Amino acid sequence: MDARADQSTTDLGPLEEFPEGAFRVMRVGKREIGVYRSSSGEVFAIANFCPHRGAPLCKGPVGGTLIPSEPGELVYGMDGDVVRCPWHGYEFSLHTGECLFTGQRMRAKTYPVSVEDGRVRVSGIKSGEKK
Amino acid sequence: MTVMDKPKRANGPKDPLAGDIIDCDIHSVLPGGLKTVFPYLDRATRQRLETKGVGVGHSALSPRLAVPNGGHAIRPDARTPDGGPGGSDPDYIVEDLIEPHGIRAAVCTCIQAGALATVLAGPDESVALCRAFNDYHLEEWKLKDAGAIRYAAVVPVQIPEEAAKEIERIGDEPGVAAIFMPLLNIPMGNRHYHPIYAAAQEKGLPILLHVTGTENVYHGSPVIAGGWPESYAERYCSLSQVGEANLISLVFSGVLERFPELKVLFVEFGCSWVLPTMWRMDKAWRGVRFDVPWVKRSPIDYVNEHVKLSTQPLDEPADPAQLKSLVELIGDHLLCFATDYPHWDNDMPGQSLRMLSDDSRRRIFVENAQGILRL
Repeated sequence: MDARADQSTTDLGPLEEFPEGAFRVMRVGKREIGVYRSSSGEVFAIANFCPHRGAPLCKGPVGGTLIPSEPGELVYGMDGDVVRCPWHGYEFSLHTGECLFTGQRMRAKTYPVSVEDGRVRVSGIKSGEKK
Repeated sequence: MTVMDKPKRANGPKDPLAGDIIDCDIHSVLPGGLKTVFPYLDRATRQRLETKGVGVGHSALSPRLAVPNGGHAIRPDARTPDGGPGGSDPDYIVEDLIEPHGIRAAVCTCIQAGALATVLAGPDESVALCRAFNDYHLEEWKLKDAGAIRYAAVVPVQIPEEAAKEIERIGDEPGVAAIFMPLLNIPMGNRHYHPIYAAAQEKGLPILLHVTGTENVYHGSPVIAGGWPESYAERYCSLSQVGEANLISLVFSGVLERFPELKVLFVEFGCSWVLPTMWRMDKAWRGVRFDVPWVKRSPIDYVNEHVKLSTQPLDEPADPAQLKSLVELIGDHLLCFATDYPHWDNDMPGQSLRMLSDDSRRRIFVENAQGILRL
């Protein structure tokens, strides 16, 4: 595989093979990623590796969360955009990989996903990249 | 580029001590709760429990304090291949934790049994249940022999004479590494526990303390200072108080003079608190020694000779050098590594205390546990 091919998009298969509301964990080159198809039709790809302690992030639940609010107030938000690490509970945005609301400057690696002609493609994964 | 499904899952980096590591804290989880051990109960106790229709599953916590992780502390990714909760299959514990992380031996404590022994079951029920939980683990988890999983045998702490009999009954099994003494709301120095200490000392087994999940929830369990927590987060951060109060009681009561061979391993109370506690005990002793005249040496000496603490849950200061300084101040001879698998707040060896020297890590991850557990 040449260097240009390393940077290209990778075809992950037909959309119907990605169940709604669940991660499908795949290995792409040397990267382990979770592909998540939301009920609204969005598809996300995120590294199956929590930047905090290396847990398999995509084994955690996806949903919304209680966003920072005033004392005694509960505010639900970010519906469908939050994956919670199954180990220490850190939350990450599926859109940006940003670690949410803890002041921690770390990100879970996310990858651009497109759906073209009914097929899911991910880009930004170099074949030589280690996890 | 190669694309494949179901890759080997991430498991964290390999530890340089792989192959030698002793893990002082893993947990068995019985999905059927106490019903799982019914075959090991005498007919009368089984009848009594069946007519009550009881079964204790994962958690003893009310909604107020429930774990915000589906109500239980078990990692969702540690599920067994056949869909059971993490910790429910000894073979899978070996496959998922022990082998990939290079753990030579891991000590299994059953928290469900501890919660029943301390408050959830009545005193007489707890005697039969502790026997049944111990027999279940020794037989069905094959823990009689000293294999990769060792066992902390639970005792019916509400009736200490019966607890001593249970230690006598199973204390010679090679796979039993410690006695799991789930605490009541009676501090460790109290005479209530003396028969248990005598029996454990006689068998050369350490007392292993571990939270039972009933603290501050049920009458009869240790109560956290300052009042009733309003959330899981408050309760979780206060649990170390139980360890601190009991260490102080253990030292000043003179228990360690009465039982000079007794060893105590504090598990899952964390360890950062022990430094100021030792300093405070030492200073207080020098000032009011005559209040506790049976304490003949500095409290720090008693701690150093009789006590060790699990590292988990490790604190995580923003600058890891601060944690290194703290361990150096406490002393690496006092700490024993523990994962707490399969719980959400587990510490994995390859990611823990990597800023310490190789010698210091070897003491914490291998040698100190060998010095206190019967391995």
